Amino acid sequence: MNSMERVLATLAGKPLDRRVFAPVLGLYGARLTNCPLEQYYNDPAAYTAGQSAVRETFRPDVLCAPLAFAAIGAAFGSELTVLATESPNVRRPAIQSLEEWDSLVPPDPEKHPLLLYFRDTIRLMAAQHGSEMPIAMVIPIPMDIPAVIMGLENWLGTVLFDPDGAKRVMEMIIPLYVRLVNGFFAAGATFVAMPCGFASSAIVTREIVTNFTRPILAKVLAQLRGPVILHNVGAPMLPYLDLLTGLPSVAAYIVDQRDDLAEARRLVGPDSVLFGGLDCTTIGQMTVAEVDERCRAILEERRHDPRFVLGTSGPDVSWNTPPENIHAMRKAVESFGRIDA
Amino acid sequence: MMDLQQALIERIHLGDRGGANALLDAWALESGYEHLLAEVLEPALLVIGEEWNSSETFTLAQVYVAAKVTEDLLGKIVALRKIPSGGQPAKGPVLIGNIEEDFHALGRKMVGTFLRAEGWDVHDLGNDVPAALFVDKAQEISARVIGVSAMMMTTACNIKRVREEIDQRGLTGRIQLAVGGAVFHVCPGLAEEVGGDGTAANALGAGGLFERLWEQSIGKETGK
Repeated sequence: MNSMERVLATLAGKPLDRRVFAPVLGLYGARLTNCPLEQYYNDPAAYTAGQSAVRETFRPDVLCAPLAFAAIGAAFGSELTVLATESPNVRRPAIQSLEEWDSLVPPDPEKHPLLLYFRDTIRLMAAQHGSEMPIAMVIPIPMDIPAVIMGLENWLGTVLFDPDGAKRVMEMIIPLYVRLVNGFFAAGATFVAMPCGFASSAIVTREIVTNFTRPILAKVLAQLRGPVILHNVGAPMLPYLDLLTGLPSVAAYIVDQRDDLAEARRLVGPDSVLFGGLDCTTIGQMTVAEVDERCRAILEERRHDPRFVLGTSGPDVSWNTPPENIHAMRKAVESFGRIDA
Repeated sequence: MMDLQQALIERIHLGDRGGANALLDAWALESGYEHLLAEVLEPALLVIGEEWNSSETFTLAQVYVAAKVTEDLLGKIVALRKIPSGGQPAKGPVLIGNIEEDFHALGRKMVGTFLRAEGWDVHDLGNDVPAALFVDKAQEISARVIGVSAMMMTTACNIKRVREEIDQRGLTGRIQLAVGGAVFHVCPGLAEEVGGDGTAANALGAGGLFERLWEQSIGKETGK
């Protein structure tokens, strides 16, 4: 089976020659090609070359389009900082308070160069790899986007203390978001993974997820033209996972390494794909033997789960992660062999 | 008093900033603002901090509400000139800031708010602070504790430069280095690895940590 066949068979719950292996190695491609990050996160060809190197080096089953959503803030006017070994961060948000929101001009997803970078990169990656490899785009849920435009503190304060203000913000974000994500699908993204900050029990209350996040998410997801994976955003997902089931377009969930996988499976039901694995931040601090042991333990636990995928939780696998550790993940998957439906 | 503290915690848990402020205002109307911080808010924050740490009952949003309620109260106290200790902060001075290349300000700001509520004279250097600037400023204002925040592994590693600055200037022990941020929560041992003298489980634990480090600094100087 090639990777695309393996992923499609996983979605269908059909037998596999081996488990799908899907670490998030967007950033790591720059390390492999020795590409400065300023170039990597602005030049679709440079990013695509990095992902070709990821494919050649680690043979994952999914390639990741740029995980650099601070650039969406920059398209609104936020100032970015480019770091040596991290994806870009927001240095200064576009606006400093909600009062400035109405003066913002939303960027056009089909024209703004920072947003076109994503689409053009997906297109290039799909042209080079898309017949055999699924391409995953990563963009946070729409409720997380205002944080890169006005800063997390201002946005959290707005959601908590000014419901009308939060509604006004989302009225601008939602149509732009739908156009942007459908543009990713049109360019060749096989699916879109969405970190769920404003659905995380580390960040917001259950009431916020119930009354604010879920209704908007349901409305947005219903307008998307492709499958979506809901992502843990680097914090346990189980506490609110029940609030994220039954949503349109959602085909899979990437849970946190601290989440109980059996309980996650029970909550999402048998038909959704479940990703679990090692923490992208700490995998670099583990020994090869520890990576192997942990992966084998996870794979053993999910041995009879045909829709389970071994990957990484959190954002990108850290720059300083030794390549041997990533190889160890793949070898653990290969050693487990066939998966019967 | 316990009932009031419990009611306050419940309001904060519900994200009800207005309700929490109303409770505190009602108490102050009868008993004054002078002792509100020490007798009501601080014990409530202690409980919230412990619960946030041990059972993850509280979310970032709720602790943010706690920080805003604290800010509201500090604002009223300052406006009414009801600061304990004759108008001067009782403890400090101390420094806080996000390390060079780190721009995640929310946690640092909450630490600053909670430290001020406990009477510390807090100097906040903001985001993206070079290591040398931390130590320059600490020497300038005679701070015994520098609190450095980082959210991610790569930026946390930049804290090593603050350690080096402190050591190279012969200030080891005299200036204590507190470290914190999300990454320290998921990577046990990272605080020691970057040269920190201590870390706290969350923003609400910063006061206790700064007390301990302040004492360590004095102990280093006096040889006790």
